[in-house]
Amino acid sequence: MVSLSNPFEALFADRRRVAVAVAGVLALAVVPYTTTPYYTDIVFTGLVFVMLGVSWNLVAGYAGQISLGHHAFFGIGAFVSAWLTTPTRAGLPESIQSPALLAIVVGALAAGLLALALGPVLFRLTGHYFAIGTLAVAAIIQLVLLDQRRFSGGSTGYYVQNSVSPETVYLLMLAATVVVILATYVVVQSRSGLGMRAVHDDEDAASSLGVDPLRYKLMSFAIASGMAGLAGGFFAQFSGYINPDSTLGVTYMVDTLVVVVLGGMGTMAGPLLGAGLFLTLDTVLRQTAGEFATTIEGGLIILFVIFVPGGLYKLLTDRSGDDTEGGDAAESAE
Amino acid sequence: MVTTDLLVQSLLNGLLLGGIYAVAALGLSLVFGIMDIVNLAHGHMLMVGAYVAIILFTALGLTPVVGMVVAFAVLFVLGMALQRFVLERVVGEGMEQPIIVLFGLALMLQSIGRIAFGGNAQATDIGIPGDAIAVGAATLSFPRVVTFVLSIVLILGTWAFLKYTTTGLAIRATAQNSSAAQYMGIDTDNIYVLTLGIGTGLAGAAGALLSMLFPITPFVGWSYLLKAFAVVVLGGVGSVAGTLVGGLVLGVSENIGVLYLGGGFRDIISFGIFVLVLLVRPHGLFGSSGGGE
Repeated sequence: MVSLSNPFEALFADRRRVAVAVAGVLALAVVPYTTTPYYTDIVFTGLVFVMLGVSWNLVAGYAGQISLGHHAFFGIGAFVSAWLTTPTRAGLPESIQSPALLAIVVGALAAGLLALALGPVLFRLTGHYFAIGTLAVAAIIQLVLLDQRRFSGGSTGYYVQNSVSPETVYLLMLAATVVVILATYVVVQSRSGLGMRAVHDDEDAASSLGVDPLRYKLMSFAIASGMAGLAGGFFAQFSGYINPDSTLGVTYMVDTLVVVVLGGMGTMAGPLLGAGLFLTLDTVLRQTAGEFATTIEGGLIILFVIFVPGGLYKLLTDRSGDDTEGGDAAESAE
Repeated sequence: MVTTDLLVQSLLNGLLLGGIYAVAALGLSLVFGIMDIVNLAHGHMLMVGAYVAIILFTALGLTPVVGMVVAFAVLFVLGMALQRFVLERVVGEGMEQPIIVLFGLALMLQSIGRIAFGGNAQATDIGIPGDAIAVGAATLSFPRVVTFVLSIVLILGTWAFLKYTTTGLAIRATAQNSSAAQYMGIDTDNIYVLTLGIGTGLAGAAGALLSMLFPITPFVGWSYLLKAFAVVVLGGVGSVAGTLVGGLVLGVSENIGVLYLGGGFRDIISFGIFVLVLLVRPHGLFGSSGGGE
């Protein structure tokens, strides 16, 4: 366990940063009690973005495997957790009915295991082929669930019931987001994280030095997909309604990509900044631009990629010039 | 129970549909083979092409045969502008930069489509009188035959352009080795602009042709992107003949599969074939492992 205590030591060494993080989490924790459900929904969406972004960043930013099927694992987590808290709607036996938190965890495990099962097959592909292959697999999963109306509710959707209040789900989601960020940090700083980055930088060289590329690709893919499933499970229990069209839709993949690329790929802070920026942008545009919001969003994303290629993180560290202090991500930016 | 007649009918319809798939895929394949970019907005550009044909048909009563030419032209210009003003600035930054630009574009096209046309499906009709052709017990509907013939013309045209013109030679040279091509005085930046124009133009043409056979909604983009990529994988990147074969194989498999499994399986079948082929032959059935030929 020595190797695990080291990264935390580094992480908690900077007291100012710890204080800011704790204050941030506390501020988010009181949101459902001090504001309206409207703002709680928005912040919850932000937490979903963070979880999706942080996890996708692990597989794409660190291990270098551009998966375009992240939304499928989000959707699987959502549906598995829905089946477990509301089994009778899908015609499943009532005996499997579980508490929300257990259902969410099982949903995450299901997504992770699915990734572990698909991984060895999908990782026969590389580069563009892997990207499109994952997009196709995600599309197949969506189409199959759309077709299986009994399990998914088809296009009418699936209403999810549970016995906990939305505020509780929100607080659990906040805690889970913190855990996901810390867990990702640990993985990245560990020996496995080094293996992932080695595979990203030069797979052949890593392989010739005894690093098994498949092992690290699979590990990052399974962990990231499990986290996406976790986000999906929380989403299902919080919103109370999911449907294969939107919950398994490619929109979540686009959101994830945007969050990571806006923030800065392959950095720990990137997806957090990206989620904040994207959430603000999305909320403001939806209020002001109405139906043109998505169009403008697409355009802004393109402009951002052209003019701020390194993402918000790089922009900020370049400005302040003290990225030596910004420790946690500086060494992994390249 | 599926009768032999029905089977033959589906097979023939599948072949005719496959021609259009080949056109859609050829554009994707050219861009992938020559520029090493997967145009993730290809399906959405196809959708735009289809709406160009639909507008011309509903507003002016123009046949989609004319619409196809206009759709090609519109998307040709759009593709060239995209390369010149956007993609040129982000290539070389890594694989995810073009991906997100094209995802962003797909998002824009889809939401513009939804604002302009709503979510309802629309289609065109050939608007030219013609009789179905009987082949044994099966009949080939006139619009389907026309779309197939036009598809073959487009594919042969693209092939001849690449093979016999100086510009085509320059495109092939750039695909093989862009630095060497530059030494020979080829302006590779312009070649890339032209290539993306042709690639997206073909997507537009395919969309116009498809609008005669299937209803179009603003949301069909992803589905046709994956179908086109399935054909690319079947046929091998950069191979014109392979793309045609791949398109026909996909069209036939879809139609035969739908016959036995039901209409809901059309996309599942083609995506399934796609994943299967990728796994058996990660670089396609007829493909070489390199970029293009």
